[in-house]
Amino acid sequence: MAIDNRGRPAKHLQPNTSSQKKFEFFHDERVRSIFYQALMAAAVGLLVWYLYSNTAHNLEVRDMNTGFDFLNVTAGFDAGFKLIDYEPGVGTYRDIYILGILNTLFVSVLAIIASTLLGFVIGLMRLSNNWLVSKVALVYVEIFRNTPLLIQLIFWYIGVFSLLPKVRNSIDLSGGAEVLILNNRGLYMAWPVPGDLLWMTGVAFLVAVSVVVLFRRWAQKRLDLTGQGFPTLLPSIALLILLPGTVYLMTGAPLEWDIPKLEGFNFSGGAALPPAFLTLLVALIIYHSSYFAESVRAGVLSVNQGQLEAAHAIGLKPAQVATRVVIPQAMPAIVPPMISLWMNTVKNSSLAVAIGYPDLVSLFMQTTLNQLGHAIEIVAMTMAFYMTISLSISWLLNIYNKRVQLVER
Amino acid sequence: MAIVKAEKTPARAAPLSERSLIGWLHKNIFSSSFNTILSIVTLYVIYITVNEVWHWGFADAVWFADSRRQCFEISTDGACWAGVIGWMDSIFYGRYPRDELWRINLGGLLVVLWMVPLWLPRVKAKVFIGLSTVFLYPFLAGYLFSGGGKGVFMQVMVTLAIVCLMGNTLHSVISLIKGISLPEFLIRAFGKSTAPEKTQHYLLLGILFCSFVAVYYWQSSWQVEAVSWTKWGGLFLTLVVSGIGIASALPGGIILALGRRSNLPFIRVVSIGFIELFRSVPLITVLFMATTMFPLFMPEGFVLNKLVQVIIAVCLFNACYMAETVRAGLQAIPKGQFEGAHSIGLGYWQTMGAVIMPQALKHMIPNIVGSFIGLFKDTTLVSIIGLFDILGVLRAVGKDVTWLGLHIEPLVFGALLFFLICFAMSKYSRHLEVKFSTGLKNMTPNKRNKS
Repeated sequence: MAIDNRGRPAKHLQPNTSSQKKFEFFHDERVRSIFYQALMAAAVGLLVWYLYSNTAHNLEVRDMNTGFDFLNVTAGFDAGFKLIDYEPGVGTYRDIYILGILNTLFVSVLAIIASTLLGFVIGLMRLSNNWLVSKVALVYVEIFRNTPLLIQLIFWYIGVFSLLPKVRNSIDLSGGAEVLILNNRGLYMAWPVPGDLLWMTGVAFLVAVSVVVLFRRWAQKRLDLTGQGFPTLLPSIALLILLPGTVYLMTGAPLEWDIPKLEGFNFSGGAALPPAFLTLLVALIIYHSSYFAESVRAGVLSVNQGQLEAAHAIGLKPAQVATRVVIPQAMPAIVPPMISLWMNTVKNSSLAVAIGYPDLVSLFMQTTLNQLGHAIEIVAMTMAFYMTISLSISWLLNIYNKRVQLVER
Repeated sequence: MAIVKAEKTPARAAPLSERSLIGWLHKNIFSSSFNTILSIVTLYVIYITVNEVWHWGFADAVWFADSRRQCFEISTDGACWAGVIGWMDSIFYGRYPRDELWRINLGGLLVVLWMVPLWLPRVKAKVFIGLSTVFLYPFLAGYLFSGGGKGVFMQVMVTLAIVCLMGNTLHSVISLIKGISLPEFLIRAFGKSTAPEKTQHYLLLGILFCSFVAVYYWQSSWQVEAVSWTKWGGLFLTLVVSGIGIASALPGGIILALGRRSNLPFIRVVSIGFIELFRSVPLITVLFMATTMFPLFMPEGFVLNKLVQVIIAVCLFNACYMAETVRAGLQAIPKGQFEGAHSIGLGYWQTMGAVIMPQALKHMIPNIVGSFIGLFKDTTLVSIIGLFDILGVLRAVGKDVTWLGLHIEPLVFGALLFFLICFAMSKYSRHLEVKFSTGLKNMTPNKRNKS
């Protein structure tokens, strides 16, 4: 910067007081902030007004009515898979909406549980010191992460689940017991029918759980105070099995199994899962487990090597190193990405529309929208569902993050 | 100090257990009895899988046949690749007229030509080259692909694009050979390197204007046949949709991310609402929204075609995802950088443009490539709402009368194609991560995290 011999900025760089006053007003941060926000508000308002007026005009021209009255209209189509009682011609479009939500949640929850478990296994395989095992896991992860889920989904549907044998030649997965039967109509399985006194077994189980919790707490306290451990694993398992088991047998085994039987051309009885459901489930599990595996691996690798060496040096056994040192430190790095992957699983379950599993998008956004119009209401309702799920999951994540941070301090 | 030996003792070779194959096997495969059993089981599984795939895909596969029936006559348990080969043109180009395929190939070639200088270390002015790719190439390619008559606007844009492409290419060649930029070279060629700056500027502007006029006249007589967007398809369409999505996601994402981190509450709230809306819903619902609600939003009589609707939806969706990637990059910049920039008197845009963004973008590149992979894979969803993209073509093969029921082979081929592209991109992003992490090596606590 030019400086004159007295150490002041050169003449042309000194502030010009008369013009400075003029610009002072516009250079005030508060004024500018209000100005920009007003500009933005005007732009957004104009856009909204433009879209609204166009929409209103279009609806008027096409003589379309709006509002949520259509939810009370009876729907004339059936869904291939339903968790609630619904009859075409009797149920309304509101039932269709609820049915869709339940189907989406059902497949997502199962997929999340299974893919998390599988992801943990693959992630640990990836970390194995056995070269072959770790490379197999690597190939698995790379193949399923680098191909589109939709192609995988259609591949499983056409290439595997449509090629299953016909009803006459069903595969019995339970090995002759006929409680788990797979054919091209789906998976049929025995389903428990609770008897009158089953609630007592449930109560016994709850009692067993609370006793185990108290017992473990006592053992931990004893360990902290006296340094003497008390074996907890075996007694806990024994209690959890024996107490409910005894009550169950004493009340006369109040649980019947509804077993699928071949009647005519199809199986009846038991619970049935259609091929589209199985396909979606398998595709979601395999696709997302490869992502889970990577986040598990990254989380475990984020634990400082020195921690492991120190743990070994003070003589902890490998199992103790894993449970006391690695897992507690890896979890904060694993859980946040994992929760957002759970969210992705819920969102990706909407690909069901490609193979005809009746999820929310397929039932409501496709079939209902095609039949009734009402695009705005239907799109809004569908998006509202996904946004609710997403916001609740981020809320859970925030709670978790806060807890982890507090523990660290 | 007595010198016992004048020469340094040569290092002894590593022990046999460290360098021989047996030693490696002992360490990595058969280190314990449990590991040995595990290895044998794994080897067996690998053997079965590889054997099946080999027999189905290569050994028993049929490569040349006229119909699926013929495939079955030759081999019943191998893949029928003949169908995929027969449909190859459609898989890549959709229903684009077969005589006009050179236009797509030329378009692809041009983008490569345009972007190659970005990877040449000796070429300067990479920001300009990158920006011109994003803002000018689409016009040239768009005209090349769709053809037909050009309006005045298109004429100007196409001319600009051609001039820019020629300039880029010349600039890169000259930089590679002489190590100087194109303007410098021109000034020297005209012998004006000692002339005042003003003369040099006028000279360059004059050259630019002359080339613009010349190209304008040349291109005004150049016209290609119109091809309706309904004929677009295959990998070409997938690349067009994802390419536009990628090109617009970054600028859109940067704007949204800056909005989200803005101090102005209204702008922040609008940005957060927009980002969260699109991030919390599946892409397929956004696509359905685009095809069902956009027609209602438009003024009466104004019809957007389905391709444009889909492209707008994909752009909005990806900009919101990119915004979160950019935000993560911005958060990684230490606060001192902002304060430093403010203290030397830079304003908001100067701080962001000259100090924050260059650092943030550099660290974001691996994540950005990661988002591109996701975007590219997600583009297959457009087949659900009825565009004839690569997945649409792959599914159409099995409905063709000659290849009726041939579903698996096209899907496997498509998956392979996606795998190659995405795997290459992810390897590249990992390479970039290593390359850019040079300054931060001390921060990684774990040295064994190499792969």
